[in-house]
This record gives sequence, structure tokens and C-alpha cells, in this order.
Amino acid sequence: MSATDAASRSKIADPGLADEGERRIQWAARHSPVLTRLAEKHLSDGALRGRKVAVVVHLEAKTAYLATLLAQAGAEVVAAGSNARSTQDSVCAALVRRGIEVHAHHGASPDDFTADLLDVADTGPELVIDDGAELTRRILEHRADLVTRLQGVTEETTTGVARLRAFADEGKLTFPAIAANNARCKHMFDNPYGTGQSSLTAILRLTNLNAAGKRFCVIGYGWVGQGLAQRAAGYGGKVTVVELDPVQALRAVMDGHRAAALEDALPEADFVITAGGGTDTLPADALTHLKDKVVLANAGHQDREIAVDALGPGEEVRPGVTRHDVGGKTAYLCVGGSLVNIAGGDGNPVEIMDLSFSVQALSVHRLARGDVPPGLNAFPDELDREIARTKLETLGVRV
Amino acid sequence: MSMIRDPSLADAGERKIRWVSEWMPVLNLVRDRLRDEGTVAGRRMAVILPVEPKTAYLAAILAEAGAEVSVAFQGVMVHDDVAAGLAGRGVEVFAQAGSSREQELQFFEEVLSRRPEVVIDDRADVIRLAHTTHPEVLETLIGASEETTSGVIQMRAMEADGTLKVPCIAANDARCKYLFDNRYGTGQSAVNAVLDRTNLLAADKDVVIVGYGWVGKGLAARARGLGARVTVCEVEPFRALEAYHDGFDVAPLVQACRTADVAISGTGVRDTIGMDAIDALPDGAILANAGAVDDEIDVEGLRARATETRMARDHVEEFVLPDGRSLFVVGAGVVVNLSAGEGHPADIMDLTFAVQALSGAYLMQHGHELEPKVHTLPAEIDEAIARMKLEALGVRIDTLTPAQEAFLQAWEAFE
Repeated sequence: MSATDAASRSKIADPGLADEGERRIQWAARHSPVLTRLAEKHLSDGALRGRKVAVVVHLEAKTAYLATLLAQAGAEVVAAGSNARSTQDSVCAALVRRGIEVHAHHGASPDDFTADLLDVADTGPELVIDDGAELTRRILEHRADLVTRLQGVTEETTTGVARLRAFADEGKLTFPAIAANNARCKHMFDNPYGTGQSSLTAILRLTNLNAAGKRFCVIGYGWVGQGLAQRAAGYGGKVTVVELDPVQALRAVMDGHRAAALEDALPEADFVITAGGGTDTLPADALTHLKDKVVLANAGHQDREIAVDALGPGEEVRPGVTRHDVGGKTAYLCVGGSLVNIAGGDGNPVEIMDLSFSVQALSVHRLARGDVPPGLNAFPDELDREIARTKLETLGVRV
Repeated sequence: MSMIRDPSLADAGERKIRWVSEWMPVLNLVRDRLRDEGTVAGRRMAVILPVEPKTAYLAAILAEAGAEVSVAFQGVMVHDDVAAGLAGRGVEVFAQAGSSREQELQFFEEVLSRRPEVVIDDRADVIRLAHTTHPEVLETLIGASEETTSGVIQMRAMEADGTLKVPCIAANDARCKYLFDNRYGTGQSAVNAVLDRTNLLAADKDVVIVGYGWVGKGLAARARGLGARVTVCEVEPFRALEAYHDGFDVAPLVQACRTADVAISGTGVRDTIGMDAIDALPDGAILANAGAVDDEIDVEGLRARATETRMARDHVEEFVLPDGRSLFVVGAGVVVNLSAGEGHPADIMDLTFAVQALSGAYLMQHGHELEPKVHTLPAEIDEAIARMKLEALGVRIDTLTPAQEAFLQAWEAFE
């Protein structure tokens, strides 16, 4: 698509920001050697030529580079964000200038956000790279007539895979889907190392506070929680893990952290980070247990992991930090309870998304070839191994 | 009358100052004590420090304790909103972002004309002016407390050749400063600034830390804590051995650079990472300086060699070399946590600035009894600061029992 066509079909905040966005995409490209190599090797066989591909992932530089490679492979790409607060307007502008249709702007209201996704749905995508099943569930719920066009969905997150599984249980998953999140090159790196590092650096930058000696309460000890706990300890923090699954709680103890019930962990926590993956990970009725001047941040999938409604609107005390009164005590909330690494920073490190998006690129390519059966499928292990081998090669590591 | 860029920015600046004040409990206790005891009431103090929220709060608490405070600094590290907010708190501020050299001289003239009794100095700026072009200032100057290592070096040089006429306190030599500020403060904020500005991963990187003093120790610990493989370069054998026993690889700089993804300097020495090391770095390597000296990386040499330079991201400059390599410098080679970040964490500066405030108060009370030399903050004041911080953190510690005290004081063998 020409840049002019893309511009006429797109709905973005400000096309004038394209230069800055372009600079960001080039930086991401430079640090994505695995995706670059694998795209050259696999995507050039014509399987994606002329195919309508929707990319609905946090719209920043790394996602933009993935979208660009798909377009270079001949796909007709249309992009939207998976979270209004993570969308970077400059990157959207650069993507449009690269000839890709985009429907997103930073800070969109829930209604506008849904409207953007439905606009993407109405372009009739055949293949979807989804995050949290945000587009897939809207197509299933609001665009039943378009479901038959769907020839494949590949899903980025733990939360989205759970949603797809629920659809499968209800018999609604009539098209092929791949749980890209469950690829080892995704969840074993993106979730712990990517989210772990980038969430901690974002919290410390947003607050300008010291980590050494502080008590961090990490709620949820899945892959993300494990990474958060490890990195918090790496900054000199002390970690208490809150986890409902006794096996995972036991792992936290063996990993050298303290494990406790939420109401016991909160009163001594200087930082509380949620990574439950669901809603109400830090529920309203737990807020009374918070320590005065606690910093709250969410590193899970949803914007609703922290009971932000119960916290009230708050007063902005620094960019991205609001002060809330909780029964006479003060709580500081990072970026309104949104994903702190993405809404309060540039998201996961580039090298991590190099792996994750290699999974997505090869996944959507498999779906395009049409040899994946309907229902929820695993990412092929031979491709998973090829991605890891390629990453090791770029690091100069022989095994 | 203050000389600032824009008084209408005061609200934004005040908000920044209020935030850090929440995290500086020791400084608040120091203010209360100085105010209650009248130590600095009506006394003239000058604060020469980067005008950002934490330093502003130090100046503000001195004013709240009753001192007449004036502030000046070079424009490279001035937040205009903080300057306005501070002026709104009754401190005279002479600082503007991007000020010219002529303006800066005028700002310092203003501060000197206030005839400060005690100066909280940076790189010995005011002390050197008072001993050279403005000797009249020495008539009323009791002494200075110095923040930086390089300033202390200059003061020691003045002491050695007999030039120094007033006592100076090396605040950097207080344990409550270097054990925390240099190690945890710089370690965290410098590593964070590099990661934030590049959006890159630490865990798949080979990181070279040059220097294993307090700053280098903090850098190495934090880089390792984020999953990097760390190699330490040192010239001093004890520190090198310490790094080795802390579990780091130790290697000569040029050799370590050959496989480095990131190299961070923390030595306080000019040309730490010179062209020989730069030439050893592979394509794509990232350079940053966490030390106090601006030229620890030979950025000028790199610039002279480069065929092309451009900003790859905000605060990240790319240098394309004739052999085809691209190297990236974060924060222009100037101390990266300040040039590409917000400086040290507020709760670390709580300790540093408690040292500064109490050094200033000590000079007010005892400066006339001190010889014109470089002194260290008395150990009991240093210890009192540590106890205040522990109390603010809710941490209790033990004391020796009388029997243990007796054991430690006895020199003869026990029965």
C-alpha cells in the first residue's frame, strides 16, 4: 500500500510525528537480528502475499518492525494497539508513512479503543496477531459475519491464551489458533526477563526512589512474577511473594524469597507489584492493609489488576504517579494501574521482543500456509528450537 | 532578588520539590534540630549544587531552619521549574538552564556579594573564586563543605601549597555519603539510565565495568542483579582482588572490550576509556560514564575519528567509524545518571544532604576553631545520621553488653 493510501485509511493522532517514530523503529530493527534473519529465510516464500493480516499488539517500535517485515513479505497489514496507554503516536505515524494502515492513538477512551478495533475487524482480516485476544474476542462477539474469513489467530499473552481456551471449550474456536505465548522462546524469556527488567526500571524511574533495602511484594509467581522477584532482589530489594498456588509459593520460598498471605505481606511492603494476569489481583478490601506511602504498580496483563476504582482519582504528584488517600494512609499509583513497563516506559527490551516476535512471525506464516488444524494449537517445537539456535548464533554462543 | 528564567514555573517546581521531601526523613529531622537549636538562624549560607529537586530541598530546609540561603549553578544542570519553586520558598536563586558563561559569572558574583559564612560547594567553585579573584569574601567566610571528590582533590592541593585560608569539610569522605550515594545511588541510577535510554536487555549482555571503587562496586552489583555477565577492569591490585572474590571476571581493559556489549566507566579519572579501548570494542557496543569526571570516555577522540554521527534515540548518539563499526554513547559521556536521567534516588540523597547540612552547621559552630585544612565530618555526627536513617526506616539494632564492652577494652588475657 502507498503511504497516501495508508494515510487515507488510517486513524491516528498526528502524522507529523513520523520522523521520531521512524528513528525508534530503526533502533528496534538494529537490535532484532533473530527476527530479521528468520523473516528472510521463512517469509519470502509467498505464503503471506496478498493476505490480510491484523497486528493488534502494543503499538510501539518493536511491534512496528514486525508489522513492517510482514508487509515486506507481501501481506496487507492493518495495525491497532492492544492497550490505549501503550500506543506511541510517533510510531503510528511512522508506520503509516511506511504504507501500513493504522487505527490507534495514545490514551484513547475505552469507546474509541473499541471503535479502532472494530474498524480493524471491518477490514476483514484473514490472519490475526493478537494480544489478550482483544481483536479475536471482539470479532467473535460483535462481528459474527466476519468469523468465517478468519484463517488463523496467533496469541501473544498468557491471558489471551486462557481466553482462546475458553472459546474453544464453548465450541467457538472454529478456526486455527496458535498459542504463541506458550512457545518456550516466548514465555521463558519475554515474561520473566523482559517484563521483570522493564517493569522494575520503569517503577524506579517514575518514582526516582532507591530499591536497595526496600521490601517488594510481588503478587503472583508465574513467569512474570518470577522475573519481577528476581530483578527486585537484583536491585538489592527484599521480596515477599503472594501466590495462591501452593506449588508456586513453595518455589518462591526455595528461590530465596519470603512467601506470605496478602494481608500479611502488604503491611511491610514499600512497593507492591501485581502480576496475577486476571482482575483484582490487589482487591479493594486489601487496600486497608497497605503500608503508608506504598508505591503500587501493575506488571500483569490487565489494567484492572489493582482496584483502581477503590483508590479514587488521586492527585498527580509526578508525571505518571498519582497520590491516593487510603483510609488516612497514602498510596502512590504508577500510570493509573496500567502495565507499568509499557505505559510508563518503552515496554520490554528490544532483544526480548526479537524472540517473541520471531515466534509470532513464524506462527502467522504457518497459519498462512494453511496446514494448522482448527482449534488451539501449540507452536511447533522445531521452530521454537530454530529461534533459540539463531539467537545463540547472534550471541556467538556454540552449544 | 533571584535571577531565574520564569517565575510562573513555580508550581511545577514546587510539586517536584514536595515529592522528594516525602522521601527525605533524615533531612527533615536535621531541619527541625537546626531550627530548634537556632544553629543557622540569621546566618548566611550559599549552596552551589545542580538545581534539581533534591538539592533544592536541601537549600529549602536550611532556609526553613532560619538561614539566609543563596543558590547558584551552571546552566547545564538547572531545572528552571525547580529554580522557580525554590525561589518561591524564600531562597535566592541565581541559575537558569542554558545560561551563558557571562551570566554564570554574574550569578556567582551575586552569591559572593551576599558574603556567605558557609558554602556548600561543588568542585570547589566558590572556594577557588574566594582565594583568587574575590579575596574580600574570605574576611567573612568561615568554611566550606565540598560535595565532590574532584573538589576535595583541589582543596587538598590548595592546602598542600599553603593557599587554603579556611577549613573545608570533605563531605564525600563521610561514611553516610560514600557508602550509599556512590555505591547504591550511582549503581542503580546509572545502570537504569542506560537501560531506559536504550530500551535494551541486560540479561544477554557482556558488561565491562571500569573501576572498582564504591561507584564501580555499585555498577557491577546492579548489572549482575539484572542478569548481565560482568567483567571488572582495575589498576589497583587490592580492588581487583576484591572484584575477583566478589565473583566477577577481572581483565585488562582492552582485552575486556573486545567482547563487550556495554562498557561503563566509574573511575573519576580522565581518559579511562581511551581510543585503544574504543578501537577494541565490537560493532554496536554501548558506552556510558557513571564517574564524576566528564572526560572519562574519550568522546572527542571518537568524534574526531567518526565519519558520521547522529542521535539514534534521545540521549543516545551513534558514531559511525571508518572501519564500519557503529558505537553508541549514552548521555554524551557526561555522568549518565544526571545527563540521561534524574540523578540519584531521593531517599539516597537524604543521607548525602544530611551530611552536607550538618557539615555546614558544624562549620557555623566550630569553624573558627578549625585549622585551614581539609577535614572529615566528625565520626559522631556521621554515626548520628546513620542512626536517624535507621530510625526513619523502622530498623532497630543492638548495643554491646557491658561485658562485651569490657572485653573489647581489655588488653590482658581473660581468665
